Amino acid sequence: MDLHGSTVEFHNVKRVFGNVVALNDFSLKIKPGEMVTLLGPSGCGKTTALRILAGIDKEHSGVVEIDGKDMSRIAANKRNIGMVFQAYSLFPNMSAKENVEYGLRVRGIDSAQRAKRAVELLELVGLEHHQSRRPNQLSGGQQQRVALARALAIQPSVLLLDEPLSALDAQVRSQLRDEIRHIQSTIGITTLFVTHDQEEAMAISDRVGVMNKGNLEQIDDPNKLYNKPKTSFVAGFVGTTNKILAVAHSKNEVMVLSQILEISENAPDIIKGEALYALIRPESISISSASKGPTVITKSFLGPMTRVGIDVGLPELVYAEMSSKEAKKFDTGDHVEVHVANDAVMVANVE
Amino acid sequence: MKRGLRIGDRIILIVAGFFFITPFLAAAEYSLRGYGGKGHTFANYTWIFKQIGFSPALFTSLRIAALSVALLLLLMIPTVVYVQLAGRKWARLVEIMCLLPIVIPVVSLAIGAQVAMPKTLQSTSYELCFFYVIICMPYVYRTLNTGLQAISLPTLVEASSSLGATGLKTLILVIVPAIGSATLGAVFITFAISMGEYALAVLLHFHTLTTWATNASQENLYGSVAISVGSLFSIWILLVIFAYVPVIKSALNKKKETVE
Repeated sequence: MDLHGSTVEFHNVKRVFGNVVALNDFSLKIKPGEMVTLLGPSGCGKTTALRILAGIDKEHSGVVEIDGKDMSRIAANKRNIGMVFQAYSLFPNMSAKENVEYGLRVRGIDSAQRAKRAVELLELVGLEHHQSRRPNQLSGGQQQRVALARALAIQPSVLLLDEPLSALDAQVRSQLRDEIRHIQSTIGITTLFVTHDQEEAMAISDRVGVMNKGNLEQIDDPNKLYNKPKTSFVAGFVGTTNKILAVAHSKNEVMVLSQILEISENAPDIIKGEALYALIRPESISISSASKGPTVITKSFLGPMTRVGIDVGLPELVYAEMSSKEAKKFDTGDHVEVHVANDAVMVANVE
Repeated sequence: MKRGLRIGDRIILIVAGFFFITPFLAAAEYSLRGYGGKGHTFANYTWIFKQIGFSPALFTSLRIAALSVALLLLLMIPTVVYVQLAGRKWARLVEIMCLLPIVIPVVSLAIGAQVAMPKTLQSTSYELCFFYVIICMPYVYRTLNTGLQAISLPTLVEASSSLGATGLKTLILVIVPAIGSATLGAVFITFAISMGEYALAVLLHFHTLTTWATNASQENLYGSVAISVGSLFSIWILLVIFAYVPVIKSALNKKKETVE
């Protein structure tokens, strides 16, 4: 397949529904061939951004550009954007092959050419033997594969994926997620993916943008996003984070669980002695046996890892994540000593 | 586990079936009676075709029914699609307007519509098409609305649009075929009502199959019952064909897949 990646740019896009700001001054640049995911809870504005790019939602301010061309006056059916939807969206009156051919048919491509292309794309998504099946004769995963083939058939400049895996069961979701990434990187199409599933976002994206209440809080590669969150919302939303009550020891240091740790960048203005929250990942916390002190309250087996909940005398439990082999040493009710890894920690104001 | 019908359900089914089929069987038997009620023969049915005025009346009715179907689909499909997609606030109003013909007496409708009808259409048989469109609106609106609610219309429209289709192409290539059964239902209802409507046709002095049959019944009572039974039977055949079209198409698709 011969597709080129296009550049996508949002410039200060704003969308308001009544009194609700769905998208607030949203700016984003997606490089050619890049796969960017917008991640966030329901109502954060991620789908709104995608629908604005698709041209389905036009009631917005700001500018959306594809390859430097302003899309404001271009209708959805003229934007040459492929889209896969959350809900099953195959046309029920058409076979899998006819669905894939549809975009070419409305463009007036002759039947031999579009049949050839449809077969190529069904092969690409591994459904060459299901060409004549109707949507109701296909499983959910197969339907979304056909929808992907249909979106790619028109050789779109951008591919939009609106939570296409959310209706599928876990095993199919994981498999299809990897296939989407493989196909996307093979053909090099610029892709905007929207999901509320952080594992999905982290697994297949070049960059992940975390959204909250219409704002893009942070956009970075998955590794940086996880390890260096810029806001407390990102730290809390991506992965599991302990929010531990701490005290500012100095302008750059915080005392948490009797340890003095350096504060990471992007910290709010801090006054010495001020109460703060230290945001610490469970894997940055370790425990060792002790005769008195904090108590193990819960143990959650997660396969190779186990998460241990510890009562340290604060309103909320502190969680430590360790290998399940290591966790065997501790039982609920045991007293332990809690250690925090000596890395810079993120802090947030106590509201 | 496949469960059979409960005894109560079976009794209801038998009683309802008996109630429905008995008058039809009685009418069919009556229509086959010979001259003076003696013996059984198809003479009453052959008699119909020999009558002067039968063919013109039949073709007038068929033409009116076909035009009514076309007009109604052209009017109602885009309306119901629009209401479902973008005009939710109009849904109640449209529904009330579509249901109004049920409560308006036919005489009022005939007189009012006759006055409002453009002069070029008045006194042509095409005038009846517009009246039949109004009469059929309540049933067709409900049928199409139910059909559209059964599909994820906004997603299909957005998918079609993102693939480059205009609104009209989406309507013709995606929406109408996707609600095929509902559309067939609407076609059948409109066709059946248009073919069987009597009050408006006689009030406005048109010569349709029903008005002709009423006149003919004064000459041959058995023959008039034969006309009724024949009409009903024809409509049943149509209904069976409409009902089995999707089944036959689906079977053909399966066969095609097996061959591939």
